[in-house]
Amino acid sequence: MNFSFDVIWHNLPYLLAAARWTLLISVAGMAISIVWGVFLCAARISKNRLLANVAALYISFFRGVPLLVQLLMAYYMLPYVGLDLPAIAAAILAVGLCSAAYTAEILRGALQAIPAGQTEAAHALGIPGFSLWKRILVPQAIRIGLPSLVNELILLVKVSSLASVVGIGELTRISQNITGQTYRPLEIYIAAAAIYFLINLVISGLGRLAEKRLQAG
Amino acid sequence: MELDLFVRYGPALIRGFGVTILCWAAGSLGGLVLGFVIACLYRWSIAPVRWVIYAYVEVIRGTPFMIQLFILYYGGPYVGLVLSPVQAGILSFIVYGSPYFSEIFRSGFNAVPKGQVEAARCVGMAEATILRRIVLPQMLVPITPPLTNFFIILTKETAILSVVTVPELLYETQTMAAETFTYVEPFLVLSLFYWLMVIGTNWLGGRVEARVTRHLKRA
Amino acid sequence: MADTTPKSNGAGEPIITVRNMGKSFDDFVALRDVTLDVNRSEVLCLIGPSGSGKSTLLRCLNFLEAYDAGEVRLDGELIGWQEGVSPRKARSSGTLRKQRQHIGMVFQQFNLWPHMTALENVAEALIQVKGMGKAAACEKAQAALAKVHLSDKAQSYPANLSGGQQQRVAIARAIAMEPRVMLFDEPTSALDPELVGEVLAVMKEMAAEGMTMVVVTHEMGFAAHVADRVAFLDAGRLVTCAPPADIFAREPDDARVRSFLQTYRERNVV
Repeated sequence: MNFSFDVIWHNLPYLLAAARWTLLISVAGMAISIVWGVFLCAARISKNRLLANVAALYISFFRGVPLLVQLLMAYYMLPYVGLDLPAIAAAILAVGLCSAAYTAEILRGALQAIPAGQTEAAHALGIPGFSLWKRILVPQAIRIGLPSLVNELILLVKVSSLASVVGIGELTRISQNITGQTYRPLEIYIAAAAIYFLINLVISGLGRLAEKRLQAG
Repeated sequence: MELDLFVRYGPALIRGFGVTILCWAAGSLGGLVLGFVIACLYRWSIAPVRWVIYAYVEVIRGTPFMIQLFILYYGGPYVGLVLSPVQAGILSFIVYGSPYFSEIFRSGFNAVPKGQVEAARCVGMAEATILRRIVLPQMLVPITPPLTNFFIILTKETAILSVVTVPELLYETQTMAAETFTYVEPFLVLSLFYWLMVIGTNWLGGRVEARVTRHLKRA
Repeated sequence: MADTTPKSNGAGEPIITVRNMGKSFDDFVALRDVTLDVNRSEVLCLIGPSGSGKSTLLRCLNFLEAYDAGEVRLDGELIGWQEGVSPRKARSSGTLRKQRQHIGMVFQQFNLWPHMTALENVAEALIQVKGMGKAAACEKAQAALAKVHLSDKAQSYPANLSGGQQQRVAIARAIAMEPRVMLFDEPTSALDPELVGEVLAVMKEMAAEGMTMVVVTHEMGFAAHVADRVAFLDAGRLVTCAPPADIFAREPDDARVRSFLQTYRERNVV
């Protein structure tokens, strides 16, 4: 069989339309991940032992179980507990809740990378705790953690392909559907791979730009 | 909880766990070896080879594992590569893991201070001896944590193989769930399985780390 | 000041001969037209401002840096490059290894292998390079450690040794190979001040035993009291090479030497 670019060309509009869902899942997932991740991180390092342990358990579990399993659980089990979400919402939620565990650890690592002397200096100057966090620690943590956070977003673009398993018409699922009609798996999946690759290339480029901005600022 | 279900499906689940372990072990060890070869090639070869390796690493890392698996499993037969699901699973695991492993090894090479290699040259050691006796043992210190971490990531990626009907743990669990219309218990037990695998790998990595960093402990 | 008599007259026959040697890194000329002899059993100190090319000169002597002009010979044998081949062609790695066995080197950063004990650090090359048996190598390594007064630290890993002790192990590692010459690249610059003395003491003992030593150093006291001759480098050129008495005792002729030593005089080092 010869590789047919025509097949790719004809189906490109469908693939690109599907890629928008891929982007939606990963970007919305990342938003949940960051907000929920900040809370988890704060809980994880809080002096309240119970809170810290619960956060640690959460992080360990969500990092320890395959995301695909988490997705299937959200899909099958949420209705059991009376939460009848649309599939896409369940998928975004599952991706975000899982990713938050990683984001929390990224932020914790970044906070630890800030020299303790800075906190001591702030205390010595009598800067109150809240300002210390808002003005000194969090901005630096984000700057230090930015490369890892961009990586996490790239990871989310890739894992969004798992949502195909619960029937969401994102890039991977649509590729499967088109393959079913055209019997051209090689062309279609390679085209899908190229789209994923380009999305991630753009994200890492933007990430580097943001890094430069932050360093300059 | 309906225990008799687990008695009935127990053997299938255990078989599935076996397949998961097989794919994980064969795939990640193969990826480890291929990654090491790639890292060595990158270090000791000419520019065009390096560009090819660079492109390979970037492309594999920039695309989802599931798509790579589909290309290999569904696209393979069109170029004469017909694989069973398990074969496709293991092979795609090797391909998927190798660039991550090679990057870990590459950073490991770079982490060994240049002066130590120079010192070895100054006493007349051969390059191969330097790699074997000085560079490799020392590389183990910085690369053990990321290696452990990546082995853990791979344990979880095995679940994706269920999509191409590799009869591994998730596949067997889904079969059980579909046949018995029970979802909660099987998936909770499944999660526990993976979690234990991750904790086990983590523990093992910790042991290895303790072993390779013995000499850094202050007495 | 330089009132100690040198332990030898420094007039032995040359063991290292450097002729019109030069070295460039891309556009930067690190060394130009250096001609210098190192005599047998002599202690030669290389001094000069930072960036003057002292360390590069030292590293050219054992071909860690490939010099690109002139020649360096050890006992008449051309180091690094093949004899009489033009354009230059490096010697085979096997030959290079043989040549380097005769030239011991001690680094500023010690460069001990952290995954091996002190004894293993010293024995490693004896086993891997000289092909000695394990028992014989360990015995010889023990003897080398005894020379640097560290017999009791044989089983310690570098992480458990002080900087001065690590540097002494590094010296033992080099002398165990029984080199004809020892090169020291700022051996005390990475040490806390209170640890400098123990390393210099070991080096003094080696000098007294007649080891040929080339030492890049900022320790002007050591240069003044232990060296047979002192070479002063500036901007990649060998400005002068003379007995320490000439360099340190009176006002040196050369303005560059004068201004260099001035900073040390102000700190009462010399």
